[in-house]
Amino acid sequence: MTVLPPLLLPLLGVPLTLFLRKKRKIQSALALTLMLAALGATLALLATVLTTGEPVTVQLGRWPAPFGITLTADPLAVFMLLMAHLVLAAGFVYAAGSTEKVVQYPTFYPLFLALATGLTGAFLTGDLFTLFVFAEVIVISGAALTAMADDRYGVEAAYKYFYISTLASAFFLLGIGSLHVSYGTLNLADLATRIAENPSAPLTMAGLAFLTATFLIKGAVFPFHFWQPDFHAAAPTAVSAMLSSLVVKVGVYGLLRLTTLLFAGQTGLLPSVLVVLGVVGVIYGGFGAAGTHNAKRMLAYSTLAQIGFMLVGIGWGTPLSLAAALVFTFNHALVKAAMLMLAGAMASRAAVKSASFEVVVGVGKYHPFAGVLFLLGGLALAGVPPLNGFISKLLIFWSGVQAAQYLPLAVIGVASLVTLVYVVRSFVKIWFEANPEAKPKAGDRLWAPAFLIALSLGLGLWSQPLVALAQYVTDWLGDPSLYILSILR
Amino acid sequence: MPHVLILPLLLIALGVFLALLLRRAPLTNPQAGWLLAVFPFAAFLTLLIAYGQAHPQTFSVPWMPALGLNFSLYLDGLSALFGLIITGIGTLVVIYTGYYFDGAHASEHLQHANRKSAITNHQSSIETRFFAYILLFMLAMLGLVLAGDLITLFVFWEGTSITSFLLISYKYKDEAARKGAFKSLFITGGGGIALLAGFLFVIHLSGGADFQTVLASREILTTSPLYPVLFSLIALGAFTKSAQFPAHIWLPEAMTAPTPASAFLHSATMVKAGIYLLARLNPALGNTDLWFWTLSLIGLTTMLVGAYLGAKQNDLKPLLAYSTVSQLGVLVALIGQDTEIAFKALVISILAHALYKSALFMSAGIIDHETGTRDLRKLGGLLRQMPILFGIMGIAGLSMAGLPPLFGFLAKETLLASATHPSLPAVISTVFPLTTVLAGALILFQAAILVWGTFLAPPADPKHPAHGHDPKPGFWLPPALPALLSLLIGVTPVEPAFLANFLAEAAKAAYGDKVKVSLALWTGINVPLILSLVAVSLGLALFWQRNRLRPALMALLPNLTVNALFDGTLRGLDRLSKTATRLQGGKLRVYLSIMVLSLGGLLVLFNGLPFGFVLEHQSLNLTGLNVLRLFALLMLAASALLSVFLRRDLHAILAVGVVGLAVAVWMALEPAPDVALVQVVVDILSTVILILSLTLIPRALRLRAMEFTHKQSRPGLVRDALVAGLAGLVMMAVTLTALETRPRLSVVTPFYAENAKPLTGAKDIVGAIVVDFRAADTMMEILVFALAGLGIYTLLHYATRKAGVHSREASAPDLPPHTPLGVHNLPTSPLLHVLAYAVLPLAFVLGITHMMYGHDQPGDGFTAGVIISLAIALWYMLFGYYETRRKLAWLNRNTMIAVGLTLAVLNALGGLAFGGGLLAPVDYGKMLGLPLPPGFALTNSFLFEVAICLTVMGAATLILDNLGHPREDDPEAEAELDAIGER
Repeated sequence: MTVLPPLLLPLLGVPLTLFLRKKRKIQSALALTLMLAALGATLALLATVLTTGEPVTVQLGRWPAPFGITLTADPLAVFMLLMAHLVLAAGFVYAAGSTEKVVQYPTFYPLFLALATGLTGAFLTGDLFTLFVFAEVIVISGAALTAMADDRYGVEAAYKYFYISTLASAFFLLGIGSLHVSYGTLNLADLATRIAENPSAPLTMAGLAFLTATFLIKGAVFPFHFWQPDFHAAAPTAVSAMLSSLVVKVGVYGLLRLTTLLFAGQTGLLPSVLVVLGVVGVIYGGFGAAGTHNAKRMLAYSTLAQIGFMLVGIGWGTPLSLAAALVFTFNHALVKAAMLMLAGAMASRAAVKSASFEVVVGVGKYHPFAGVLFLLGGLALAGVPPLNGFISKLLIFWSGVQAAQYLPLAVIGVASLVTLVYVVRSFVKIWFEANPEAKPKAGDRLWAPAFLIALSLGLGLWSQPLVALAQYVTDWLGDPSLYILSILR
Repeated sequence: MPHVLILPLLLIALGVFLALLLRRAPLTNPQAGWLLAVFPFAAFLTLLIAYGQAHPQTFSVPWMPALGLNFSLYLDGLSALFGLIITGIGTLVVIYTGYYFDGAHASEHLQHANRKSAITNHQSSIETRFFAYILLFMLAMLGLVLAGDLITLFVFWEGTSITSFLLISYKYKDEAARKGAFKSLFITGGGGIALLAGFLFVIHLSGGADFQTVLASREILTTSPLYPVLFSLIALGAFTKSAQFPAHIWLPEAMTAPTPASAFLHSATMVKAGIYLLARLNPALGNTDLWFWTLSLIGLTTMLVGAYLGAKQNDLKPLLAYSTVSQLGVLVALIGQDTEIAFKALVISILAHALYKSALFMSAGIIDHETGTRDLRKLGGLLRQMPILFGIMGIAGLSMAGLPPLFGFLAKETLLASATHPSLPAVISTVFPLTTVLAGALILFQAAILVWGTFLAPPADPKHPAHGHDPKPGFWLPPALPALLSLLIGVTPVEPAFLANFLAEAAKAAYGDKVKVSLALWTGINVPLILSLVAVSLGLALFWQRNRLRPALMALLPNLTVNALFDGTLRGLDRLSKTATRLQGGKLRVYLSIMVLSLGGLLVLFNGLPFGFVLEHQSLNLTGLNVLRLFALLMLAASALLSVFLRRDLHAILAVGVVGLAVAVWMALEPAPDVALVQVVVDILSTVILILSLTLIPRALRLRAMEFTHKQSRPGLVRDALVAGLAGLVMMAVTLTALETRPRLSVVTPFYAENAKPLTGAKDIVGAIVVDFRAADTMMEILVFALAGLGIYTLLHYATRKAGVHSREASAPDLPPHTPLGVHNLPTSPLLHVLAYAVLPLAFVLGITHMMYGHDQPGDGFTAGVIISLAIALWYMLFGYYETRRKLAWLNRNTMIAVGLTLAVLNALGGLAFGGGLLAPVDYGKMLGLPLPPGFALTNSFLFEVAICLTVMGAATLILDNLGHPREDDPEAEAELDAIGER
């Protein structure tokens, strides 16, 4: 039963904060309390999984799998959940100290909690269709939150996102339909068993293609990324930090499930496609980030590149490269959330509220502490020690060397220099260049990014727990029958 | 006690913290400098003691045992040599820093500090930031040379790049400082990435990261086919760090750093990191042809380029920087050799260079500090004013020039000895001595114009001679000490055996074998001495002709620089960036086309297109196609086409509505009455929503949008048609295959059919699936519905209002209050009012039956909610917004959603409490023994239906209400917005 609280707490929060919509302080305090409790519950869940060595599984309604819906906290799910709830808690802390108007709209917290619910559910569910439904929850809450952002491009960005997500939903349904027609079941464990038994049903590979396209859209992978830069840049800062760090990871998670569970051993060209798209994404995202004139947009492009690294790791598919992809996923979530918060916090201190470099140039003069955080976060993005980004880079390079994948390795190596270029340039712009119009001004609180950067630094200096956890997850993923047996006893 | 190795690092880390704490201390900069210098000095002593105890010694703690990585330290002769240089010169530099920021020169910094203190409310003129940076750098540098494995070394390596960036950009208001800092970080950072990859290759091949393993794996490493790759990567890292041609360009620009940093980082320590690395790895990777040729050629080129470019400079710091480049080239070339004498020359040169160059740099800083300029064209004649400094610079300059009896002479002699070593291959055996002589002459020339131009030459501009005087002793002491040492080592009559032994140990570690080091200046008349004489005479000749030579040098190849390479790289990067962002054109149509085509690509790649299957099974089976189905099919196709080709948005929306209804007809015929019913109500609701949203858009905008949608060039039209056609074809193939292959019964169907009635009490398995078997999906779907409502509400109620979007013109009809107003604020017919009054209760009755018997028949909480909402929508249409809100005062939509969702969650938890699992079925009616009408059971399924109904009603009316909301004035919303704006 310990699998439920991380999901139910934010879910219950949606109506509760809606009841409290007129009392904003209580509303925000309640939302934060619930999310912290959910983080605690996630940690408890992690402890249970690690101590028993078994996933925690709940068959909803006590219907045996595959007839009902399964929620399962297997090592991968719990790994993603830990990442999600750490960052979400920070996101709610940021929202509580945000000066944006959007956080004061009565429906902000219900929608934000729904986003948290969707994320949690997507990682916990053991059912393909329920994953679709949770993805819908994420889409609709994310789109609504961005549409109502203070940024005047929010509506346009949300519109495009919603449109493209509708396309993704269609792909998703086609994928689910193809597999359901072929195998008659929606339960992941059951599907995996049946696909392994008969991998050559007429629609199996079509299903794989549809699902791959879906998760590539969710993860904003080139050339399915078009919604992402606008969307992540325009969203309210607290939300954008979640979108760019966590929501795209649903795509990464989906691809992991495809390659290691559903189609384990039957992936065909998928790994190669992932490596190619990952490498292209690393290049495209890197250059895109270097070419933008807006700090938040730069970080959004940077996510394109970082997701590329993860795809490369998944594509290589060796134990070390999978562990590297997982560590990358986790570390990137912490850092990217913190960086977007910092960019937003500086935008809130600019003369006009905007993260455009023309506006935020020189704003850092009065906020040296934010500068220290931004520089640390930027170095983490660029993979410079002693920050956690270095561990990610170390592992992914190492796995590339081990797997003798020299060409992709060379490309992502050069591209990671581009990361250094854009983070340093943006730091120099905001903190080193002079701007007579910059005035001391209060803005969004820095607690949340400070927490995340501290965590990044901590995980850079002492990364053993994370790496060991990722290896534990990788070992688990290495044998899909473990997952299947834990559900279809 | 191996833990002593960690002490030097801890001591310096302590220094960093103390430096940060000094922010508020009532100290002057010199006092702070003396105080903080204690830490590097203590580290120096600790290192000495540790070295004296045992060498080599290691210290290792597990760092990432998951991958077998440790944090380890290693102390042998080589690391001790570097470590002592770092902490020793570091101590002097910290003292020097205090004086450097003291007094007049610090005024601009003071100003800055004062401005900052206006915000942070403290009065302090201590350059804590600089002290902290320089100590942090020292920590990284010391860690680098003490590291016991490749990963630890790399971590500290990057640390030096970052702290160097911070130090170069210290005066960040100066654009040159920012640019120089960026350039150095770009080049060394790029090298760092290569280095990491190279290290990983080494670790992969040798099976361990620690030096013992790596150094013992020479055979595996040098014979591996990957050797050229890993060698190039590591060499790239080392060359960029140690400013080898053509990566040397960052070093002169790094001179924008405050002089203490230049003296420390960019002459004595950081630039030697690459040298250290190459020397350290020489036993494992060296002594191959590739190693020899690369290091020799790059090193010799760098030596010559640096010497030549330095001779052209007027500014003292770039002059010294280029001579450093030259010296670094010498060191690289030496490591390339495989002779004992080369490594003897290496260690002697490292020490000699560190001593004289730091002395010269610090002196240059003093001259700058005292006279306000570093330009040779403005300096001159300072001998009388600054005799002490002349002494320091004179000695250091002689050492740089390689003249006896200075330590630098010894360095040059051994260098020449190794340059003329008989084992050198043919070409190098002539090139090496030649370049060494030429570079030696140029370096001597540089040293000479440095000292001459500053102190001895008449002032360049006699009217405005440079003014200055010797500074406080504390200021000149730091450069004086290393200068004095250069002299002492040279002139001491008894050879300092401990130093010779120490250097021999260092050389041994780098060479991999025993090296004999003697520090005797006089070794008899031999080839090196003769060459040395040639070099000195050449240098003196050049100096004699300086007034002709310097202009000639400056005129010669004025643009000889590889900066174009760097600028070009960055320009290329920016151009690619522009291209990358340009792909993001903003046209949704293009985006969608690309995505659909990419999906097609994936289908092809994965061999997922079922066309083969379709062709095999093309049985045109028309049984079951009756008139009604044909009608539905035709209606479906026709209205779908119409929705694309109709040019007016309203018509297109209606056509889409028809598509939905046609699908519903098809469903009803299937027969799937549940699905058909849901399809009908959803279709009506969505059509109403679409039409209402049209009314929100101003007419002119709508016309433009329609025009834009249908304006399309001929190729564009063809392209779109192709994309759409292909997508349609794929869909058709997939659908056909699905229909052909689908089993009549899926795996789960028998279970549902068997258990629906006994376990959930539902006759209708669709109902059972929706609220029992897959209740979680339903719960999340109503959440989606609720979120859509809340989103639209917030967007229209707050966000667009805030943006000042007023789409509908205000019209104030002159009518009595509470007049029912319909569309366009026109009064509506009382007959229709009766209809509305009648429809709402009817809808409620219908809805309630749907919920009560949803388990057994088509219809459920969702349809109930939509039906009631549609009835309410009628009210909105007939009575207008205000009247409806007044008449239906109970319709509190947000609360309804909240209640609905809460009920849904609590109900699910009820299953946990009474049914043994979350969402498990519970029959409360039976449990409590309630008398209930037949066919109705008070189960948690029913409560779930109620929850669904409430949520859907709330969300649907919220959407309809806000879309139909008159926008002209809403005092309530304005007040709320004002409240938000104020905070």
